[in-house]
Amino acid sequence: MVVVLFAIMIFPLAYSFIISLQDFELTRIGQQTFIGADNYIKLFHNKSYWTAMRNTIVFVLLAVSLEVVLGFCLALMLHNKATFLRGFFRSTLLTPMFITPIAVGLMFRFMLNSQLGVIPIALKSIGIEVDWFSPQLALISIAIIDVWQWTPFMLLLLLAGLESLPEEPFEAAIVDGARGWKMIRYVTLPLMRPIILAALVIRMLDAFKVYEYVYAITRGGPGESTETIQYYIYRTGFIYFRAGEAAAMSYTLIVVITILVAILFYVLRGEAQEK
Amino acid sequence: MSHRLRKRITSVFTSLVLIVSLFIVFFPYFWTLLASFKDAAAINHPLDFSFTPTLVNWQAVISAGIPRQALNSLIVGLVTVGISLAVGSLAAYAFSRFNVGGSAARFSTLLAQMLPPAVLIVPLFLMAYYTKIIGSVWAAVISHLTFILPLVTWFLIGFFDDVPRELEEAAKVDGCTNWQALFKIVLPAVRPGLGAAGLFALVLSWNDMFYALLLTSGTQRTLPVGIAGYWTFRGVEMGQMSAAIILAIVPMIFLSFFVQRFLLRGLGGGAIKG
Repeated sequence: MVVVLFAIMIFPLAYSFIISLQDFELTRIGQQTFIGADNYIKLFHNKSYWTAMRNTIVFVLLAVSLEVVLGFCLALMLHNKATFLRGFFRSTLLTPMFITPIAVGLMFRFMLNSQLGVIPIALKSIGIEVDWFSPQLALISIAIIDVWQWTPFMLLLLLAGLESLPEEPFEAAIVDGARGWKMIRYVTLPLMRPIILAALVIRMLDAFKVYEYVYAITRGGPGESTETIQYYIYRTGFIYFRAGEAAAMSYTLIVVITILVAILFYVLRGEAQEK
Repeated sequence: MSHRLRKRITSVFTSLVLIVSLFIVFFPYFWTLLASFKDAAAINHPLDFSFTPTLVNWQAVISAGIPRQALNSLIVGLVTVGISLAVGSLAAYAFSRFNVGGSAARFSTLLAQMLPPAVLIVPLFLMAYYTKIIGSVWAAVISHLTFILPLVTWFLIGFFDDVPRELEEAAKVDGCTNWQALFKIVLPAVRPGLGAAGLFALVLSWNDMFYALLLTSGTQRTLPVGIAGYWTFRGVEMGQMSAAIILAIVPMIFLSFFVQRFLLRGLGGGAIKG
């Protein structure tokens, strides 16, 4: 069975690597030629590729940092047993992470549209005019959409973390007179450090895949302001049909992802060993 | 400030924040549902709530390709889940009991599920092209297996870890073979895990658009691809799009209530005990 698991991953990966060494265009399959590392060298001089990488990193950092802060606050509230309707809030606030991202993208495109969107029109009626998909704001808007959909996932991970913490340090801290902020700052946060780190890496890995919002809303524009790496690979490979180049780009992405996964793996393993 | 008063303020503040969060989460659902009952003129005046509700959008969506696309999504989802559970449960059992492949194998399982689809799409597209399944739901099934099978495997490791080894050993003493012990003792014990992994996998398969967009075509398109088609450069059908979105998200929100409880234990891959 492990064999099946590997066959389904290793073969496409190896095949992808071979494609990345070829001058391979989807419009003329069967006429590819071996060109060695040319596709990779081309990438270094490709401005759009670097723009896409930069946009993706800005997007990931912006979205994930907002998600971890909001997720942690909500997790603290939902962890508190005194909270009103705790179970109800818990299951309803988690719903966005279960729906298809293309629907989320389109719902927000609809609500933020400057001609018929409810949010810009409501803002206009109190005198604020914002074009959410202007070159300056578009990437931020997309990050906000990501925050709407994925803060629930962060909340879920952090809530589970809070529930797995031992009770003794908290009891000891109460005896020492710690309350409120002090408790969070000096007891909860240090204990949660590995869990927060794991949650951050998991979300970053996921956020690197951002594609549907871009596809649904901006298609990379205006200009190249929301061109993300996954969308750029899609475009290179399937709109311009340059499969070789797209495969090479995807291999550079694997390097980034592997480093992040290695960090995650060591964090998770450290957790398991402590128990 | 007295301790009591402080507690009172905290609880009022918490309730307020949670109610505002609930509003933020539900407003898009509510707004989309509302738009699905509006005609084009009403959609152009978002703040005017005196429109007459209409069913035209729903009728148009039902008579268009949407039911077929939903069926395609369901077929892709069920086949993917079936294969993933069959293969994934055995793989997870092997990881959990015999530590097959050591931590390198576990690491690559985790890596496999985290790989961005952009990495695999070019080879998968060409493989589907050469095997002539391009454009059909089967190409979508294969592509979904690439991320769902590792996830299901990873998910189940924790559940298998929780089954006491003594149970199996007792069964073997009573004359069961390895396989019999697995099927009669261990698998029934991880049934909640299998159920949760299966439902979660169904949600992920149903929600995928990237692979489905590039690998399916014509009448074989899945629901998310169909929804994306309502807002293109060629034209916008906002009301119909809203109705289609509601159809796509409501079943998943409903399923989510059954999965949430088990999600954490699964996603930790045996490291986080929820």
